[in-house]
Amino acid sequence: MSRPPLRLLCAFAVLVACDLAGKLFAYALKLPVPGTVIGILILLAGLIALRRVPADLKHVSDFLLAHLNFFYIPAGVGVMAYAALLADDLWPILVALFASTFLAMLAAGLAFQWTSRLTRGKDGDA
Amino acid sequence: MSDIGIKLIYWDRVFEAGFWILLTLFFYYLALRIQRALGGTPLANPVLLASAPIIALLSAADIWVGDYMGGGQALIWLLGPATVGLAVPLYRNFARVRSALVPMAVSLVVGSAVAVLSAVLIGDAMGASMETVRSLAPKSVTTPIAMGIAEEIGGYASLTAAFVIITGVIGAVFGAAFFNMLRIRDPRARGFAMGIAAHGIGTARAFQEGEVTGTFSGVAMALNGIVTALLLPALWLLFAS
Repeated sequence: MSRPPLRLLCAFAVLVACDLAGKLFAYALKLPVPGTVIGILILLAGLIALRRVPADLKHVSDFLLAHLNFFYIPAGVGVMAYAALLADDLWPILVALFASTFLAMLAAGLAFQWTSRLTRGKDGDA
Repeated sequence: MSDIGIKLIYWDRVFEAGFWILLTLFFYYLALRIQRALGGTPLANPVLLASAPIIALLSAADIWVGDYMGGGQALIWLLGPATVGLAVPLYRNFARVRSALVPMAVSLVVGSAVAVLSAVLIGDAMGASMETVRSLAPKSVTTPIAMGIAEEIGGYASLTAAFVIITGVIGAVFGAAFFNMLRIRDPRARGFAMGIAAHGIGTARAFQEGEVTGTFSGVAMALNGIVTALLLPALWLLFAS
């Protein structure tokens, strides 16, 4: 490992601290937003103030984001707990979930693409 | 005596949690190898490929999911700090995100409305129970928000949790091919649509496609969560009653 492990650990601690601060903030102010979203904003504000991304923080966050799937596996396993509930309305559920996911991707994707083309002259890159 | 007993139980739990985390790591590694062997196709979704054998194993051995969650909870907890890491690509692509405010706003309004309405209308038309329909409404937003909304409008939070995960996997698996079919090639549009429809699991996939796609997906996931949490319960009470 080329990077000192202690500095990577500090970078990870920064992520945990931002998440925790965001959760406390959301809880204290009873915001209808998950604390993690506030945590993202806290870290973003910090980076904007710092005007750069420390190399260790970049290293750790890139690694975690590349493996974001890993942290969703327990949630995937958890679906099994609701198998009996799902069985009641299985077909309506499956059709609704599949069709609605495709429709939402279609609507959001085309809306973005069309508006981006309409406003391209103003926004520059596209 | 009782002191020793408590310690034994404690170590038993620690051992078990470690075992389940190790098992999850193993199947995740296997899923990544399979996905890589298949050329990185989104059809081989790591969440699906890794959780399916774990579910099969737990059912075969007749083990309660709650036991697995002794280790699973630790990974779910780590999801928080990992997601906070989104601030880094967001900072790197800040100018790009800021210059796309208009398309993002339009896509957010249209996309979140379609995500909710289509699920509710299709579920209702196919004869699902009222509770199921209510639980379907927030299925495109990230789990903690979706569960809260489901409770507010009279659905089952736990049922919603399952819908959210299934929705995420559907989007992550079929999104890329679907966007290609629709000729949506702009990585910003692909990412944003993925985040609106398929929240975090879609975002995890979007980061496999590229940093810009992943960043826009993460922004969309956060914005859709906020907008849906603020508007859905109020609108539901207005129209459903």
